[in-house]
Amino acid sequence: MKLRTRQNDELIFELTERERSCLVNVLGLYPLTPPAHYQLSRNQCVPEPEEAQKLLDEAMAEQRAGHRKALDEFLNSSTRFSRAGRKVLFTLSEPEADFLLQVLNDIRVGSWISIGSPVELPPIPTQGNIRGISIMEIAGFFEGNILAALTSD
Amino acid sequence: MAEIAEPQVLPGSVESVKDKTDSKIDPGYLVICWNDPVNYMEYVTHVFQRVFGWNRQKADFHMLEVHEQGKSVLARESLEKAEHYVHQLQKFSLHATLERDE
Repeated sequence: MKLRTRQNDELIFELTERERSCLVNVLGLYPLTPPAHYQLSRNQCVPEPEEAQKLLDEAMAEQRAGHRKALDEFLNSSTRFSRAGRKVLFTLSEPEADFLLQVLNDIRVGSWISIGSPVELPPIPTQGNIRGISIMEIAGFFEGNILAALTSD
Repeated sequence: MAEIAEPQVLPGSVESVKDKTDSKIDPGYLVICWNDPVNYMEYVTHVFQRVFGWNRQKADFHMLEVHEQGKSVLARESLEKAEHYVHQLQKFSLHATLERDE
């Protein structure tokens, strides 16, 4: 994955076919972070903590549903991927890049939780965690490249 | 010319109005972001800039505080605003909570 151009509000990345396939498949896993992961407070310090937590749960559920729908539209856009010889051009606007970062990070965090939230990253691969590690690293690969593109001068 | 009458103050009414106003504007909740090993440092900076509208320097400062000290107090706000910020940060999958400022 390589940033080809960044003009005005638009980013164009050059992907290999394998990278395109990885991106589409990893995005298909969204959402991956379990809803119970999100806690409003550590010590229940708010008045009516159950009600406040319920509001957060509802906000997160609403976002997930909206993002899932938006993600399908994003991937099905006719201008999203185009051919340039053996490469694939991946075009997105800056607001779309922001949205994609949020989605990819949910996948990265969700896969990290699925392998037991290890403190040391990357953890030693085992038969039990290899899938989670792979998903985490693939999501992280795309996330890192998009972040680098957004912050490049 | 008629004078404007002084408002009559009933016992107890001043305090109750004051209390109501204070509880509404009193910024007594901390928005805290906690360290975790999974979120990229660059991503955390990016999210702080998006959620709080901070410049890169300020966002980097708080990101490094999270990274090096385990947490950073990002804002001290009313309950409503603090809840709003925690919701926003969690929508980006950051580990953020609100705590009462004692």
